[in-house]
Amino acid sequence: MDAAADARTLGLLRCECCALVLESADGSHAPCPRCGFTLHARKPQSLQRTAAYLTAAVVLYVPANLLPVMATQSVFGRDSHTIAGGIHDLWTTGSHELALIVFIASIAVPILKIAALSLLVWSCARRSTQRQRERAQMYRLVETVGHWSMLDVFVVVLLVGMVRFGALAGVEPEPGLLAFGAVVVSTMLASASFDPRLIWPEGER
Amino acid sequence: MSEPVAGAPPVAPDPPAAQPWLAQPVLARQNRLHLSLVWIVPIVAVIAGAVLVVRALLATGPEITIEFRSAEGIEAGRTEVRFKEVSVGRVKQVQLAQDRQRVLVTVGLAKSAAGLAVEDTRFWVVRPRIGTAGVSGLSTLFSGAYIGVDAGESEDSRREFNGLDSPPLVLRGEPGRSFVLRAVDLGSLDVGSPVYHRRVRVGRVVGYALDDGGRGLLVKVFIESPHEKLVTARSRFWNASGVDIALTASGLSVHTQSMASLLAGGIAFADAPLGPEVRAGAVAAPAQPGQQFQLFEKARDAMAPEDGEPLPVRMVFQQSLRGLEPGAPVELLGVAIGTVRTVELLGEGAANNVALAVGADLYPARLGRLRQQLAGSAVAQAQADRVLLGRLVERGLRAQASTGNLLTGQMLVALEFAPKAAAVAFDAQALVPTLPTVPGPLADIQPRLAEVVDRLARVRFDEIGTELQGALGSLRGSGSSLQGTLAAAEAMIKQLTPEARQALVDVQKTLAAANAALAGAQQSLGHADATLLAPGAPLQVQGQQTLAELQRAAQAMRVLADYLQRHPESLLRGKPADALEPAR
Repeated sequence: MDAAADARTLGLLRCECCALVLESADGSHAPCPRCGFTLHARKPQSLQRTAAYLTAAVVLYVPANLLPVMATQSVFGRDSHTIAGGIHDLWTTGSHELALIVFIASIAVPILKIAALSLLVWSCARRSTQRQRERAQMYRLVETVGHWSMLDVFVVVLLVGMVRFGALAGVEPEPGLLAFGAVVVSTMLASASFDPRLIWPEGER
Repeated sequence: MSEPVAGAPPVAPDPPAAQPWLAQPVLARQNRLHLSLVWIVPIVAVIAGAVLVVRALLATGPEITIEFRSAEGIEAGRTEVRFKEVSVGRVKQVQLAQDRQRVLVTVGLAKSAAGLAVEDTRFWVVRPRIGTAGVSGLSTLFSGAYIGVDAGESEDSRREFNGLDSPPLVLRGEPGRSFVLRAVDLGSLDVGSPVYHRRVRVGRVVGYALDDGGRGLLVKVFIESPHEKLVTARSRFWNASGVDIALTASGLSVHTQSMASLLAGGIAFADAPLGPEVRAGAVAAPAQPGQQFQLFEKARDAMAPEDGEPLPVRMVFQQSLRGLEPGAPVELLGVAIGTVRTVELLGEGAANNVALAVGADLYPARLGRLRQQLAGSAVAQAQADRVLLGRLVERGLRAQASTGNLLTGQMLVALEFAPKAAAVAFDAQALVPTLPTVPGPLADIQPRLAEVVDRLARVRFDEIGTELQGALGSLRGSGSSLQGTLAAAEAMIKQLTPEARQALVDVQKTLAAANAALAGAQQSLGHADATLLAPGAPLQVQGQQTLAELQRAAQAMRVLADYLQRHPESLLRGKPADALEPAR
């Protein structure tokens, strides 16, 4: 990588929307002359934004897991379920596979995402040059997996919409779902705000 | 990171000069704020999260532990705690107690129900229950059990409770009043049995317990508001279970409360009738909570004037008391004044003489006015009653075992005045005074029966027969003499026929003679008449005597047959030497 020269060191900008290449000494934040997309050499305030979204995700992760996400209403009474409680119920009733899926999708993935992005932000802020390839792979993994994080929310929303049997049965969302959705949105925003190009800081080898 | 690079980077070649084939961006003024606005997002998240958590924390009340005998139907995380059918908490955990005898149920109460965690709050598990008093907790058949709460009123908070095994029967704050009834036994009553007043259901049995000595039973009843005012000091309670059938002089009367109480039992109460002297303007005040009443067996017993303390007496009989059982009445001139309690055999002084001692309770209160008139001014009422009894014995009061019911042979003790009775000593000081007795009518029958049999044996039936035959023979003689007279007359007439004419003169004479003969015949007939028909005629008298003897013989036979039926063994063994038979 010694001889690597990226666009920025060459004084070039590429519009992320229409791929127009521009010459720029300091052309960030100017609109693209062809498509009007804001030009920037790097995503603006990438690390700060990622860190902010991650903080929000961490904060919201607490109520998301403590509060019930869903309440089932039936003739037997009203039951509120937290995510962990649901997993426990699934596991004890013998649906180990389902429990595993829900556990991975709802607990493991958000935690891993938050942890991975935190690591990336931290290492980039330190302008670390270690294990850059692995960090890049990790980022790509986070991006890929992130698409599935809303699974729980979708399940509950589907249930709420479909299970409507009047007095017999019904499903209602509870505040925990809101928090959980916010966690997922925050992590997605965080990963979107992160600029993987920062893994290779300038002026470092 | 978006800062423009100041100075020439070392790796870069010459700073890019304006290259004409590349477009130039129009430079805009840069926002140089170092702190991005995006930090609002985590701040909002912190606030939202804090609000959610704080709200959840605020909604969480205290955590309490309840001990139950069994966790049947209780599920952690699912079973609710309900107060007045409002969910106020949820079971969090179910675990065994250290000693493994009980189950510890940890319950998270809602914040609004924090006031329930006080000293005298009671918890129980609501399950479907089916009893005689009805079905309860049916909804739990579907919803599963839940924990019921009766809110306490104490100020002291508490975190550990003992759960009740069954729902409390009176919830705190339920308007009404409870009373205690003393009963001999529970009968068909049970917890939840109804309490009736004028056949309206006004309360229920809420519990029962043997009293400390185990000699009686205390039944706790709860009278629901607004009926609790109906219970006054004059109220009498009785067991209204089942059917009360009474066969009285006025016919058969059947009393029941309701079909439900017929099956499930029940208690009824009403005010006791007042005596005429207190009837005017007497309004009894409502009874105090917890006041004790007696629970009578029957409405009749309940409504009877109170008996007061019984006076035990003892009577010694020298006769068989077959049919006299404990519970038989003791009657004074036909008025029941007591009850037989015991009948026992005892050897009384003289050899081979077995007597029967009858213990009975007399209720002097039933004597009414007589008691007030005769009782002296003794210090204690019990002593006065004994003195009163002594006076009655002085006047000839004797106990007698007599047959109360001819069909069943049941006996009672009748207290009758026997004017001819010999004076006896009466110990009025004794704890259990002994009443003197006289043999009852049954005891008299046996010697009389023997007398009849004897007399029957003395009757000379053969002599009666001979006399009768003689009488009939003399009658026959009279008849034949008449015939003879007639034949003689006829012969004379026949003799007269051939010489009628000659004899005409003599006819008159002959006729006169015939007349005389007829008169003789008439005389004979009169004699026969006198023999047979006249009042006081020996034949008739003797016949009548015979018939009377026969009648008595028949009576004796009947008695004998009765005796044999009762003592068939006497056919084989003869009449046993009856110690009870008075010496003849």
